[in-house]
Amino acid sequence: MNHGPLIFLGVFFALALSWFGLVFESQLQLGNAQPTTNLVNAAQLYPQMRPGQARQGLDVYRSLGCAACHSQQIGQTGRTYDVALTDAGTNRSAVVDTLLKVKPDATAIEAQRLLEKPPATILKDVTRAAADAAVAKFEPTGAKVEVRVIPTGPDIARGWGKRRSVAEDFLFDQPAMLGSQRVGPDLADVGSRLPDANLHSLHLYDPQIVVSKSVMPPYRFLFEKRKIGREPSPDALKLAGKFAPEQGCEIVPTDEARQLVAYLLSLRADTAIFETPMTVARANVSTNAPAATNAPAAQTTNSVAK
Amino acid sequence: MNLDPNKSPAPQEPEPTTGSAPAPVWLFVLVALLAFWGMGFLDSHGGGFDARVYAPYNSAKEVEDEWPKSGAGAAFARGELVYREVARCILCHQPTGLGSPGQQYPPLAKSEWVLAQEPGRVIRIVLNGLQGPITVTGQQFNSNGMVPWRDTLTDQQIADVLTYIRSEWGNNAPEVKPEQVKAIRDKTAGRPGQWLADELLKVLETE
Repeated sequence: MNHGPLIFLGVFFALALSWFGLVFESQLQLGNAQPTTNLVNAAQLYPQMRPGQARQGLDVYRSLGCAACHSQQIGQTGRTYDVALTDAGTNRSAVVDTLLKVKPDATAIEAQRLLEKPPATILKDVTRAAADAAVAKFEPTGAKVEVRVIPTGPDIARGWGKRRSVAEDFLFDQPAMLGSQRVGPDLADVGSRLPDANLHSLHLYDPQIVVSKSVMPPYRFLFEKRKIGREPSPDALKLAGKFAPEQGCEIVPTDEARQLVAYLLSLRADTAIFETPMTVARANVSTNAPAATNAPAAQTTNSVAK
Repeated sequence: MNLDPNKSPAPQEPEPTTGSAPAPVWLFVLVALLAFWGMGFLDSHGGGFDARVYAPYNSAKEVEDEWPKSGAGAAFARGELVYREVARCILCHQPTGLGSPGQQYPPLAKSEWVLAQEPGRVIRIVLNGLQGPITVTGQQFNSNGMVPWRDTLTDQQIADVLTYIRSEWGNNAPEVKPEQVKAIRDKTAGRPGQWLADELLKVLETE
């Protein structure tokens, strides 16, 4: 008996099925992904293309094999809800009464104090139903109360990020440096949790300057040791003790180091988009001073306000 | 040893062939059950194959329910979009809502024009624009002209952006409804040109 055609068909269908499931379906789902504006908080497109230096930094990151020890994917297993009072309104006694009803263990003095400095968190870590019920109770008092969505999960508990990573985060990366091992911490949000470029430079020069027990290898070849000219370079690393170079020399970052640092600083997964509901604390745009930076001033309040 | 080539070899056993046996019924049942369970799992955890659904959410509706769809929260967010991207109010009135006093662009933060309990006047300003001298927060401005938005923005957009500027930067005035904008749009339909502040002051806030 000749089983050739049967075996061929079996293998063909097994491969075709997995191709459809793993490649074709993914392409249908995400192949046409575009930067989106959030339905709710549509002030900006997300994601933005990384700046040029950071895009070059991606290649440095790749060539140094950083992805072998660092992942760039934050997981999220659940979410919890807080209820916050953003404005006490004018009918303060009614608000205090409601507050005591919603939060039976609080004393009247504590309730008064919560009213003084809005926004104040009234309930922490409650279910959606409880949060909505609390908001409904405040409605007749004229106070503004909002439900805040807080993503939770082991990675978020470690402080690695604020929300899970989604496909959009990698839209302009070619290739996406997802990584799989976590010898070092996850870097998906490193630009927003460690925004200091000097710290990253020092850390790359010798990780033990920053974390004394770090197992990360030093990347000194990204830096150049040279004689101090007439004046020390403003970019020179501020090194002390055993890490300092000999007298009259200074350590300055090369282009690769600058690019890599720019790339690390551009790794931010802190914008709430439709896929990742969360409440981002609104940066305080002071009304009597111009914004300190030209960064987009806190584009996000994604609270479920009522 | 028989090496004579003329002699035929001894008769041999025929080549063995493969037989066949029916696959056991329990195997089919097991595969069918696994397939059924797999489908059910995909159905409940696949998020409907929607690219916008990630764990821990199970459906696009569940994700959508996390966001405010109605009420002041949603209007505020939509209004922020109008302020920043659509009408670009931000260019003159600034992200801080303080305006640019040097260029005679008045502030919106703490402005009594914005914060009036009834939004009649501020709706008129957005619809037809404004020019000439105006006093805002006790300061004199000589506006060189805010453009009219009557034909560019919808009632909904004007209501949203007003709701936004009325509750951002510490402002706290009630939200503006699209119906209010529509009423005033109809009332001032034939009006040519921009408003003057004096003219607006003659209009009752509630009108």
